[in-house]
Amino acid sequence: MNGLELVKLIDLSRCTACRGCQIACKQWNNLPASQTNNFGSYQNPPDLEWNTWTLIRFNEIEGQNGKVKWLFRKDGCMHCTDAACVKVCPTQALFYTEFGAVDIDYARCIGCKECITACPFHVPRYDKATNVIYKCNLCYSRLRANQPPACVQSCPTGALQIGARDEMVRKAYQRAEELGNGATVYGDKFVEGTHVVYVLPEAVTVYDNLPEKPEIPAAILVWKDVLKPAGLIAAGAVAGAAFLHYVTHGPKVPTEENNNEKGEI
Amino acid sequence: MKKGMIKATSGFERFVHWCLALSCLLLIITGMGMMYHSLDFIGGMMGGMGNLKTVHNWTGVFFGMALLFAIVMWFREAGIPSFPEDGKWIACAGGYLWHVDKDKMPQVGKYNPGQKLFFLVVAVFGIIMVISGYIMWFPLDFSTGTVRTMFVLHALGFVIILAFFIVHLYLATIGVPGSASAMFTGWVSRAWAKTNHPKWLREMEEKGTLVTYGGEKRSGRA
Amino acid sequence: MTNHYIDLKNSDCILIMGSNCAENHPIAMKWILRAKDNGATLIHVDPRFTRTSARCDYHVPIRSGTDIAFLGGMIKYIIDNNLIHEEYVKYYTNASFIVSPGFDFNDGVFSGFNPETGKYSKDTWTTEKDENGIPVRDYTLQNPRCVYQMLKKHYDRYTLDVVSSVTGVSKEDLLTVYKAYGATGAPDKAGTECYALGWTHHTVGSQNIRTMAIIQLLLGNMGIAGGGINALRGEPNVQGSTDHAVLYNILPGYLKMPTASIQTLAEYNDKYTTRTSDPMSANWYQNYPKYSVSFLKAVFGETATADNEFGYSWLPKMDDGKHYSIMHCTDQMVAGKMEGFVCWGANVAVSSPNSNKVRKGLEKLKWMVNVNIFDNETASFWKGPGVNPANVDTECFLLPAAPTIEKQGSQANSGRWVQWAYKAANPPGDALSDGDIVMRLMDEIRALYAKEGGAFPTPVLNMKWDYRDGLGRFDAVKCAKQINGHYTRDVVIEDPVKGTREVYPKGELVNGFPKLMADGSTSAGNWLMTGSFDPKGENKMQKRGKDDPTGLGLYLNWSFAWPMNRRIIYNRASCDLNGKPYNPGRNILEWVGDKWVGDVADGGWPPMADQEKGKYPFIMKADGVASLFGPGMVEGPFPEHYEPMEGPLTKHPLSGRRTNPAVTIFKSEFDKWANADEQFPYVCTSYSATEHWCTGFTRWQPWLLEAMPEAYVEISEQLAGELGIKNGERVRVSSVRGTTTCVAMVTKRMTPFQVEGKTVHEVGMPFNYGWRWPEGTKDDATNLLTPAVGCPNTFCPEYKAFMVNITKA
Repeated sequence: MNGLELVKLIDLSRCTACRGCQIACKQWNNLPASQTNNFGSYQNPPDLEWNTWTLIRFNEIEGQNGKVKWLFRKDGCMHCTDAACVKVCPTQALFYTEFGAVDIDYARCIGCKECITACPFHVPRYDKATNVIYKCNLCYSRLRANQPPACVQSCPTGALQIGARDEMVRKAYQRAEELGNGATVYGDKFVEGTHVVYVLPEAVTVYDNLPEKPEIPAAILVWKDVLKPAGLIAAGAVAGAAFLHYVTHGPKVPTEENNNEKGEI
Repeated sequence: MKKGMIKATSGFERFVHWCLALSCLLLIITGMGMMYHSLDFIGGMMGGMGNLKTVHNWTGVFFGMALLFAIVMWFREAGIPSFPEDGKWIACAGGYLWHVDKDKMPQVGKYNPGQKLFFLVVAVFGIIMVISGYIMWFPLDFSTGTVRTMFVLHALGFVIILAFFIVHLYLATIGVPGSASAMFTGWVSRAWAKTNHPKWLREMEEKGTLVTYGGEKRSGRA
Repeated sequence: MTNHYIDLKNSDCILIMGSNCAENHPIAMKWILRAKDNGATLIHVDPRFTRTSARCDYHVPIRSGTDIAFLGGMIKYIIDNNLIHEEYVKYYTNASFIVSPGFDFNDGVFSGFNPETGKYSKDTWTTEKDENGIPVRDYTLQNPRCVYQMLKKHYDRYTLDVVSSVTGVSKEDLLTVYKAYGATGAPDKAGTECYALGWTHHTVGSQNIRTMAIIQLLLGNMGIAGGGINALRGEPNVQGSTDHAVLYNILPGYLKMPTASIQTLAEYNDKYTTRTSDPMSANWYQNYPKYSVSFLKAVFGETATADNEFGYSWLPKMDDGKHYSIMHCTDQMVAGKMEGFVCWGANVAVSSPNSNKVRKGLEKLKWMVNVNIFDNETASFWKGPGVNPANVDTECFLLPAAPTIEKQGSQANSGRWVQWAYKAANPPGDALSDGDIVMRLMDEIRALYAKEGGAFPTPVLNMKWDYRDGLGRFDAVKCAKQINGHYTRDVVIEDPVKGTREVYPKGELVNGFPKLMADGSTSAGNWLMTGSFDPKGENKMQKRGKDDPTGLGLYLNWSFAWPMNRRIIYNRASCDLNGKPYNPGRNILEWVGDKWVGDVADGGWPPMADQEKGKYPFIMKADGVASLFGPGMVEGPFPEHYEPMEGPLTKHPLSGRRTNPAVTIFKSEFDKWANADEQFPYVCTSYSATEHWCTGFTRWQPWLLEAMPEAYVEISEQLAGELGIKNGERVRVSSVRGTTTCVAMVTKRMTPFQVEGKTVHEVGMPFNYGWRWPEGTKDDATNLLTPAVGCPNTFCPEYKAFMVNITKA
């Protein structure tokens, strides 16, 4: 896999929510367990956490003719090509790996949490104890060793696959077409394409916590693409104007008359 | 220090001014150190970006307090426009940009409208910076939408304050010689005062509140 | 499994009933989803909508304990609509046999029932033989007493209306399933069934499976790729432990456990050796003595000789008519009739039904030895809820054991693949492998017997006991070779007809059970495993060949599958009378020229069309054909629907006999019942969650505990609405036997049933929790609620259907 731009394909029509991926992720990445309670759902921990980088979300809906549907979605970092988190990170702790994934250099992270606010998928999570942000890095260490990410390795049904970007996207569309009934591909069409692509058997809107049209928030664009350069331009313009003023008008010195009125100065 | 200089500021005023100015400068430097990756060396000088952030955040707290004092202290004098002279001053741009005959220049009080504008900008955007900065410091306690709005406001405030900061620096130093001493020693020359703030000088003389260096309080005009 | 996991992908229709395979057998789901990709229809029939249902084409909710009604309706549908695989039914089953005149079925009871003992005599459950002892057949299947017509008559009562009313399944859903599954009766279609504890955990457990076997035979689905009946066994190595006799009533290789009345080896062999007069029947069990004698040789080694009946008299014997399941043992404990208890790899205080009874029984023991990888509710019962340690005299020992990955050895999967597993890490601390613990215990016991004599030292001292490596540790390979078997002396086999002469030197490993002998010249711990080594000592369980010439996933060079590396049992039934596959598209076996090509055939004889040398396909049956009708089960030759011991109905919808007539009822003070009792109005079923392993030693694993932290009860929105219970609220669940607390999981996935004109609510609880861990848990075991009653064939308890009440905690 070295040198390839990769995509992790999540085919939700094959997911049995066994949560092998959730546990395998913790094992490979040495993430401790949290103390949880059963809050009336199979979903636990209830949300992504600094120590839970991937999570199966369970979601019961009523399908046609009143029959229940139970949706499972593996949540986690989407590894955007144009990642809001990388864009906002003040220390360049967040960066793109050679596989196209977004990784984090903990040594550089200052715990400013700007990525948390910026991420359209609400993925990065903060740990107070270490003052660092955590999230999936697509198992960089494994990819470097030519191994699939721990979640993919653990998946018993083939719901998770990893491979070259084009091939995976092609497979995703092929699978969505096979499934029919409104199945869609999610991920390749926004933020310049994510490196995690879903095949969604149901409409995007019925899945919990899955934005219909994710994008880098406008606020982040205004900040980073407008105001950030504007700050330098404005400062430069003002400094230039002052210089011009100085050389054309000169300083505003007190007049002769004022100087001499009392003869004291 | 020459005899006859006029007292323009109290020691406390100067203290507040410099607290505000230096913290603002530090905030600008550290803020830029976070915003522009080309300025990473600033973080390096502070022993890492983490320290930089700490310095920025706590300097922000200090700035906020100084700002509070500054607003309370200067609001009456610099926060309220006075008519009609401020209008006239604005109409002739204070004589900074084109030649204005001396007799057509409005009689400026202790603060001209430019200075008042600067004060108001610092006050309003300073408050914005403090509030938005606080929210950005603890983003998990606020909604994502709120925090994202704060990003924009904080950056906008930065752009404006930085621009005004530079203008202020220019006019207070080489742009208007004789000004800086008001904030260093507290004393300005009568000529400077007569030129830049004639109404202030006249009023002090009329009220007998004028203090001159090495002299006594004068009551009324000599 | 008659087939194997990978073979699931070859199916056209998969009925998952009595199993939640996505959650409990996730790898099965891999192949099931492959089948779906290939166009198969997936059907899940289960009281709950589970993670399995989520991936199936249809989920059909069914009231717990009514599977036979559901399947009986399917049998009727298949027969009424003539969906059977006709040739298969005629020639490969006993459909054409004539049922003996004495057989009868009346008001829910078969002929031969003795109401006083609650037991059946099977004398009338037979078919007629001609003067030569060969079964009388009517290949037209028209004789009203032929098995086929008797079957039709038996299930004629299972109309759509009746079945729907009993099971709570809508008629529309019934027809959907019947139609889809019935379509696999076409010769080129395959349907398979996956079951697990959802079928066995009933008072009619064995008959649930038998009903399905009848369906599979009618549709010609046994012995074919993508067919069969597939018991999904799990990580607890159910398959391997059963093969090697974990149950009280069998010896390794499913040989019968002798009873006290069978005094000699000759009598024993005579009783269990099957006979036929039909030259076309291979009747494989005519070889029974070869396996029993080889087993005795393996146990007693050199000391077993023809003169002492190979040590048969040294084997322990069961008292006639007595049973020794864990439920029986518990009953004996409570009655104060059991002194000691070795609880090995088990946690009976959580896993056994009516746990209050179990825990009380433990208090009455003198001593108890637990062997486990963690402390558990059984080992620590003396400090459990409501127990004052000062009042418990039981002396308790806890021996730390090594789990699977900390030792090497064989593991049998559900598909009978026996795969060698390697040690990945050393056991921590003082923990030892089970083999080492057995060796050390037995060393001490033998030494004591040698020193003190005791009541009956001979078997203990005579047993072969040399399974150690050079360092004195348990040697799994040595043990596995002993199980495989070897020649105990030089053996020469001369065949004057063929003119061959084969020589097998003493000590050589036997390469297949056809070579085993009843004269003591061979030793084999488990005949089914004979051939798991080749004569030179290569361990076939270690084979990892990935070649698959048929493309059907047989993988004959991957590990060893019993029997004889056969991947699909009864595979000769996949071919027509001439040995040509019914479905050439999925050709696992074919008679080509003078031999079978493909899977390892069920015997090398030619197909049936060869009148001279040909054999029937079901070689393990005395008659050579599969039994639609037969005496195998204790409660009747045809399965009949009976209500669970505790259910919502006061009366059986079809007869005067509400429950299985043959069940054993225990009489202790703890054995209480509440059938159709308004105090306990809700049907409850129990199960295991994906995230935990059986009684939950996985609770000690923080990641798994994080994923499923607390006991819960799944209840429908309708019932929750009636009771005013909110999702996530704590509730108390009680049966007449016990009570526990847990979290209410209010879900759309549970739905009420319409049964016999009334609304019946069903709830479900996982049994993976107990008081011992996590620290501070307020909840206890689900099995405090369940009744100690089980299937009379296996004594597998009825964990899947009992009655409870729910209140806010």
